[in-house]
Amino acid sequence: MPAKRALIMHPTDNVATAVEEIQGGEEVAIPVVGTALTLCAIEAIPFGFKIALQEIPRGQIIRKYGETIGKASRPIAKGALVHIHNLEGTRARGDLAKKEDA
Amino acid sequence: MSFLGYVRSDGSVGTRNYVLVIPQGIIAKSVCDFVAGTKGILTVDHGSGRTANDREQIARLLIGLGKNPNVASVIVHAASPGVGYPELRAERLADEIAASGKRVEVLDPATDGGTYGAIVKGIQLARLMVHEASKLRRVEVGDEHLCLGVKCGYSDTTSGIAGNPAVGYLYDKIVAAGGTAMFGETTEIIGAEQAVARRAATPEVARAILDAVAVVEEKAKASGQDIRTVNPVPSNIKGGISSLEEKSLGAIHKAGTAPIRGVLGYAERPAGKGLYFVDNWMGHLSIFAGYAAAGANLVLFQLGGGGVAGRTLLEGSPSVVAPFLWATANPKTYAAAQDSIDFYSGTVIEGSETPEEAGERFYRTVIEVASGTLARSETLYYTEPIDMYLQEPRF
Repeated sequence: MPAKRALIMHPTDNVATAVEEIQGGEEVAIPVVGTALTLCAIEAIPFGFKIALQEIPRGQIIRKYGETIGKASRPIAKGALVHIHNLEGTRARGDLAKKEDA
Repeated sequence: MSFLGYVRSDGSVGTRNYVLVIPQGIIAKSVCDFVAGTKGILTVDHGSGRTANDREQIARLLIGLGKNPNVASVIVHAASPGVGYPELRAERLADEIAASGKRVEVLDPATDGGTYGAIVKGIQLARLMVHEASKLRRVEVGDEHLCLGVKCGYSDTTSGIAGNPAVGYLYDKIVAAGGTAMFGETTEIIGAEQAVARRAATPEVARAILDAVAVVEEKAKASGQDIRTVNPVPSNIKGGISSLEEKSLGAIHKAGTAPIRGVLGYAERPAGKGLYFVDNWMGHLSIFAGYAAAGANLVLFQLGGGGVAGRTLLEGSPSVVAPFLWATANPKTYAAAQDSIDFYSGTVIEGSETPEEAGERFYRTVIEVASGTLARSETLYYTEPIDMYLQEPRF
């Protein structure tokens, strides 16, 4: 079975975006200039959702488009789905500001 | 590199040729219902209890819509009895619109026989004005006369990968041709503001971009709310966007790569040609009227869709006088709402077109609509009310 496709937006990114429905256990190919990065999805990655390209420890920055899109709120395994359950945005967080004030 | 447009006496060029009847009210509504070729606006706010700044912003919106190149001539009626603020007086609005060289007529129930008399007079005037406008022919003009406004919405990850980059290609092409292009949504450059500010034409513009973001972010923090429960909105999250930063970084692709010439307020007209950042709010009922008031003669909604239901009807009237195009890069959205969508760039994700090929096709679509082909949304009568972007408290 051919590998499923995901896209990386910048060479320094640690996540890629699935452009097909990916099932757990399937191989994922990510086209990069001159070669293709492959890894195994350890769980389902729906169309448009992100897959971790490497292990991301809790608190580490998650990068897409070569920029920070948040940090890991729990440890993320290579090949795992990255979404709101394990990624938290850090900007404009009124809830955090409130805690600082308290 | 040209389109067929209506050349106005001030040198601006329209993609449409309407008679505009403002502000909202029973007089405008009655005239528009009765006379073909007219446009009116719906708002829920008449300025009552508004601060001077916000009343001026309402005036700027109304005057700007009147001056929009898609408008041939304008009827202004005196607003509801009791709203007599100087900023919003019919004569003031009429005078400022007339400075653009357009014919402007004023209806005043006090001197025109009450509400009934003003409606009758308005219908008679509007019929003559629409007929007069119809004598104008489209002529071939350069793309420097295009002025575009864009918003991305119901964003999902297809927006950042293909949809917004297609808009960016289009924007670069229009700006390179000497045209004008506006983008905005200040909340949705939070997390991407450094990348946006780096593209400012001057240090002052960079400062203004960062300042605009700081104001919005401070308000978000002062609210005590977890922004993740507000923005990204549920449809963004359903579409795979995990944080406001991720949404912003995808969103800014629609601005292309040209230098940013300035930062504009809501409904503020750019001083020259080129790319501008507008310090506005994302709501589609707010943002598009603001772009049209700033002079946009065509506007774009780049739609993610993030799982819209099948057989969705997308309506798009909040730009009042500017043709409103729907674009998407999401194959599911396109399949669900094909009859509403003017441009599809999911081909880039599917691998059947390069971003450049999709961008060129988008450009040709825009030129066709600018030249008179109807945007899909223009085949509907349905009109949405405008949510004017006013920021001060009401008293």
